[in-house]
Amino acid sequence: MNVLVVMIPLSLVLLAGAVAAFFWAVDHDQFADMETPALVPLDDDPSVAPAHASDVIRAGTARR
Amino acid sequence: MSAGVCADDAHRVWARPEIARHAIRDLGAGRRETLLLVDGVRCAGCVRSIERALTAEPGVVDVQINPASRRARIVWRDPDTSLPQLLDAVARAGYRALPLDAEALDDVRRHESRSALKRLIVAAFGAMQAMMYAGVLYLGDPDALDLATRDFFRWLGFLVATPVVLYSGRPFFAGALRSLKARRPGMDVPVALAVAGIYVASLIEAVRGGEHVYFESVSMFVFFLLIGRYVEMCARHRAGDLTDALARLTPPHADRRLPNGEIERVGIRELVPGDRVRVAEGAVVPADGVLLAERCLVDEALLSGESAPVERRRGEMLVGGSVLVDGPVDIRVERVGSDTALAGIAELVGRAQASRPRLAQAGERAASRFVIRVLVLTGITAAAWSFVDPSRAFTAALAVLVVSCPCAFALAVPVAITRALAVLARRGVLVVKPDAIEALAGATHVVFDKTGTLTEPALTISRIETRGRYSDAEALRLAAALARESRHPAARAIAAACPERVLDAATEVEMKPGLGVRATVGGRELRLGRADFALGERLAKPLDEDAVVLADDAGVIAAFRLSERLRPDARDAVDALERQGVKVSIASGDSAEKVRAIAAKLGVRDWHARQMPADKLARLAALRERGERVVAVGDGVNDAPVLGGADVAVALAEGAELAQATSDIVLTGGRLTHLPRARAIAIETLKILKQNQRWALGYNLSVVPLAALGFVPPLLAALGMSLSSLVVVLNAMRIGRRDAGAAARPLERPAVPAEDPA
Repeated sequence: MNVLVVMIPLSLVLLAGAVAAFFWAVDHDQFADMETPALVPLDDDPSVAPAHASDVIRAGTARR
Repeated sequence: MSAGVCADDAHRVWARPEIARHAIRDLGAGRRETLLLVDGVRCAGCVRSIERALTAEPGVVDVQINPASRRARIVWRDPDTSLPQLLDAVARAGYRALPLDAEALDDVRRHESRSALKRLIVAAFGAMQAMMYAGVLYLGDPDALDLATRDFFRWLGFLVATPVVLYSGRPFFAGALRSLKARRPGMDVPVALAVAGIYVASLIEAVRGGEHVYFESVSMFVFFLLIGRYVEMCARHRAGDLTDALARLTPPHADRRLPNGEIERVGIRELVPGDRVRVAEGAVVPADGVLLAERCLVDEALLSGESAPVERRRGEMLVGGSVLVDGPVDIRVERVGSDTALAGIAELVGRAQASRPRLAQAGERAASRFVIRVLVLTGITAAAWSFVDPSRAFTAALAVLVVSCPCAFALAVPVAITRALAVLARRGVLVVKPDAIEALAGATHVVFDKTGTLTEPALTISRIETRGRYSDAEALRLAAALARESRHPAARAIAAACPERVLDAATEVEMKPGLGVRATVGGRELRLGRADFALGERLAKPLDEDAVVLADDAGVIAAFRLSERLRPDARDAVDALERQGVKVSIASGDSAEKVRAIAAKLGVRDWHARQMPADKLARLAALRERGERVVAVGDGVNDAPVLGGADVAVALAEGAELAQATSDIVLTGGRLTHLPRARAIAIETLKILKQNQRWALGYNLSVVPLAALGFVPPLLAALGMSLSSLVVVLNAMRIGRRDAGAAARPLERPAVPAEDPA
């Protein structure tokens, strides 16, 4: 049973680590938009002015 | 979340007119209208307490709050109260309110979805870990487990359950506290009582070294509840998407042209009517304004759903939010802020989301009654068990609290209606009054207006009769040179029919209202208009009255016959409605001959010509007396009073007219086939709504007695409750699924070929 002394604290540390990593991801808007990033590689030239209305919206509400 | 966030001076900002302009709409006679986004609204109880706080404020005329979209529509009198005072009132009730405005909306929403995700993940990890530790207690060999190890695992369970209850579960406690303060118990009350009860009781058991601890149950309970809430939040955010997309379409800044010709970049809010603004190619028109350049192409797809760019000429209105296809051009700003067409449309959609349909109000009352009954039943259960078997009193009372699901009741209606509104909006059908969904589903008779409804609002040239001197194309060219100077529908039809964009310049243009245009083209005087005007005294024999004649001094060059064109999808719409078992008739003010021709093309047998508005109203009244539920379809602007006489008023409107249309439902982009499709969705919505209500009732009736008798362990109760509200939400998501393939989302350009009018 001595193995518990190592494994239980380890599980708690991993738990805390997972929660911390997730919080970081949420705070960095990793979950803010789940749809458009998948379409970005299909864009021929991202530097051109947005041709799509939703891009205009997004560009219009840039983070402060 | 907390009221402390909104310091009073943050509200003072809204007293400044240049900022308030974007959030306040003037209804005239000192009445103002504001749409607020209220953070933290969850249930009927919250709605009641905000309503109470606002109506207590002097000068508030009307308050409508929709918990599903979290929008509050307030009508107030100007000198008696002000926007900052209203915001303060909401803050005092314990909620945070923001006047509906693009940036604020983004912020509140991002904050909400971030904290919801964090709470959910803490609950998920916590519940998972608590279950593992509990597994040792449940599955381990009881003989091998000494007391010290058992207690060690119990305290580990306590360690992981604590953040789940105190952090993830905080919205439940905050919500319960708020609704108790408002003396209107919402569905957070039983949830909070259950969570707190299980947690505290387990803690006491753990300290005492008693029989059972439920740290894993409480973690799972919070986790399941949060999943339900999260799904609901996503649905709510999606439902608000259209309004928000509309509200955010206008760019944040504009290029204002200074008197010396230089360009200055200014914030959109600094624009005032009369400003000259430059719009670059591919840019969004910042406000409603008059085109100062010769011509340009704009894409109004986001406003009307029509894909083809439309041409605008000098002096015509560009609608803010449309995209300039070729440019750059200058415009003179005419309307800004909440006066623009775009703001009008967003407001229209917002009003629909803020008003609570009759069905939803009934649902909320039922949920509220239900909560009180559950609390009473819990008390009775606890009391009864303490006589029979005191050791089980706590578990049984807990199970009743947890397993009963007022959420299913409270969500059944708003979730279905909100979803239906969003689905319809995505298909180009704006529902202004949500009650119309119910009425549309039960409609038995559709009465169409003809002109501008079944037919295109614009006229087209059906035939060109030349008198040998010129070819058709040459005659058209000359006519178009004159016609483009006039705004008359007939002139616009001729101008639109000419494929060439570069025309001979017309000089010495003279307009004769009601007669035609006289101008000099290529050194020669031409006249276009009524036959007697174009030919002057040389009118030999009377020509058809409806022909437009082009003539010079030598006589007739050409006669243009104009005709109304049936909307391309009119026949499909009529057929689809008849397939649905709805009777169709036409009532028009036009001559019998024209109405008969249109009716024959559409296969409609029941038609009435030469109808004055009073006749139409009488006809609608007669139909309704016979027990028919009548839908009237018109353009919503000219025939608004007639539309008001029907059970459901449907308007076809495009572009700038959208905002002025008075109707229950607006079909955008002039697509008639939207109507049968909207009716199908309305029927589906009612069906799903009834299913939801039956499910909520059936579920609660079957599990609450079981729980009271002590057959349901708390963990199973938590699972049952969460699943039952999830069922309601997911069931509502089915609305519009079936016909998803046929849908064209307004943000994607639908591939509708533009018809060449020539």
